[in-house]
Amino acid sequence: MPFALNFLRSARTGLLVAAGLAAAGIALRPLEAPAWEEVRSRQPALRLESIKDALGQGVTVGLLGGFRAIVADFFWIRTNYVWEKYDLPATQTSIKLVTAIDPRPTYFWLNGSRMIAYDMPNWRIDKAGGYDKVPDTVKKRFDQEQSEVAIRYLNEGFGFHPEEPLIRLEIANIYLNRLKDTASAARDYAIAAEHPDAPYYAARIYAELLRKMERNTDAYAYLRTLYAKLPADNPQAMKSVVLERIRELEAELNVALADRFRE
Amino acid sequence: MSALSVPFSFNRLALIASNTFLEAVRQKLFNFLLLLAVGLVASAQFFRDFNFGSSELKFIADFGFGALIFFGSALTITATAQLFFSEIENRTALTLLAKPIWRAEFVFGKFLGVFSVIGVFCALTIGLMMALLWHREGQLMAANPEAFEAGRIMRYGDLFIVGVLQWLKFGVLSAIVLLIASFSNTNLYTVVTGFFALVICHLQYLARDSWSNVDSLVLRSVVRLLSFVFPNFQLFNLSDEIGQGAGLDPMLAGRVALYAVVYITVIGGLAVYSFRNREI
Repeated sequence: MPFALNFLRSARTGLLVAAGLAAAGIALRPLEAPAWEEVRSRQPALRLESIKDALGQGVTVGLLGGFRAIVADFFWIRTNYVWEKYDLPATQTSIKLVTAIDPRPTYFWLNGSRMIAYDMPNWRIDKAGGYDKVPDTVKKRFDQEQSEVAIRYLNEGFGFHPEEPLIRLEIANIYLNRLKDTASAARDYAIAAEHPDAPYYAARIYAELLRKMERNTDAYAYLRTLYAKLPADNPQAMKSVVLERIRELEAELNVALADRFRE
Repeated sequence: MSALSVPFSFNRLALIASNTFLEAVRQKLFNFLLLLAVGLVASAQFFRDFNFGSSELKFIADFGFGALIFFGSALTITATAQLFFSEIENRTALTLLAKPIWRAEFVFGKFLGVFSVIGVFCALTIGLMMALLWHREGQLMAANPEAFEAGRIMRYGDLFIVGVLQWLKFGVLSAIVLLIASFSNTNLYTVVTGFFALVICHLQYLARDSWSNVDSLVLRSVVRLLSFVFPNFQLFNLSDEIGQGAGLDPMLAGRVALYAVVYITVIGGLAVYSFRNREI
């Protein structure tokens, strides 16, 4: 009987404590909700979809303890270790794990995608028998598949770095160098070039791709507009090179002397 | 003479708190964890070679907060449980509570004692981290003056505020551990459950995100209830904003601080209620 009474008393206390905590949680929600929205909007890593890849991998303590940067760095070292061994599944998983743990540095997104798009097709060709034995159609399929994985991965990166020009450029590079898709590459170089923090070469490559696609008139118009925006005192802007290309295009397009671009 | 025959006394509460504080700083555990945390923060510079992504100063700040949060959580849980149960196991609680002392004075006295110890821990760790950052930033400024044309990049005021918020979070954690200790029979059970509570509080936002995706009505209700029962510790995760963009929003910091203070009061009150129903 005393046991039953004790149990009932403990159960009542437990229920009341739980009810008190729930009531506090509900009462504090109006205070917490706006703060939480703000915290989360500044830290995309706190999203369910970004964290689920990392859970169950033994890194939870790292995430909870605030050692996110150092844990991600150590996993990046591990990524390089499995990369040296040409272990495709492990490398791909490890790359995704690193950015799941710490999506903040663009370094991980860029270098991870390069491993996927540029190295992994070669590993697959080696595994399938080597360059001499594997037919070109199969090689092309490997390129296509790995590039798609890399582009998908980089697009995930936009969730954490919206409109980051370096990620956009990386996508453009994959279209250009791996998939030989000039039109798609040009589109992404153009988007990247619009960003105020984009490197100057993005616009120059875009113009060159327009020329490659035999859209010389468009390239000429684009370079004229670009030239006016470039700073004269920054060597990376390569203003003289842009002017040189404008002159080349004027010659190719037979632009009348009077209509030629003036500095 | 029962406790209720005398009015609630802040003096008695302060006496219990100061005694708890002294007991805590004499413990090897406190010194050991403090030494580890301080050692780790101080060695952050040697881990720079492992840094790939973020800027060096951000890395040092992240590393310092990592040490603070990890060892601070461990210290809060173990010290709270140990200091509470030492009174029970040594039977000093019997002597103490036989006197006209409110159980609220005992519980909040214990809490304030532990909270002060954690405060010392946070102050030392944050102080060292700030000194390290200041020193390193000075070196970088001398080496690359063009990168620091607008002055120092790190916002040391923000670092201090985030440190205070972490301290408040440890306060909420300490109150939770006291609540567990108020009905638990052993120190070990309290420590283990305290760590579980810490993990749940850090991950409760996932429950909140996922409850709407659960098909079962019962399970959905349970998940939703869980999101209300446990405080959201990720709310205190503001150290990410250090050294980035516009810095820390003071309104946000104020909201989070108020959230912690209300939780400390409510959970402390519930611990008192639970402890009053306990046979010692």
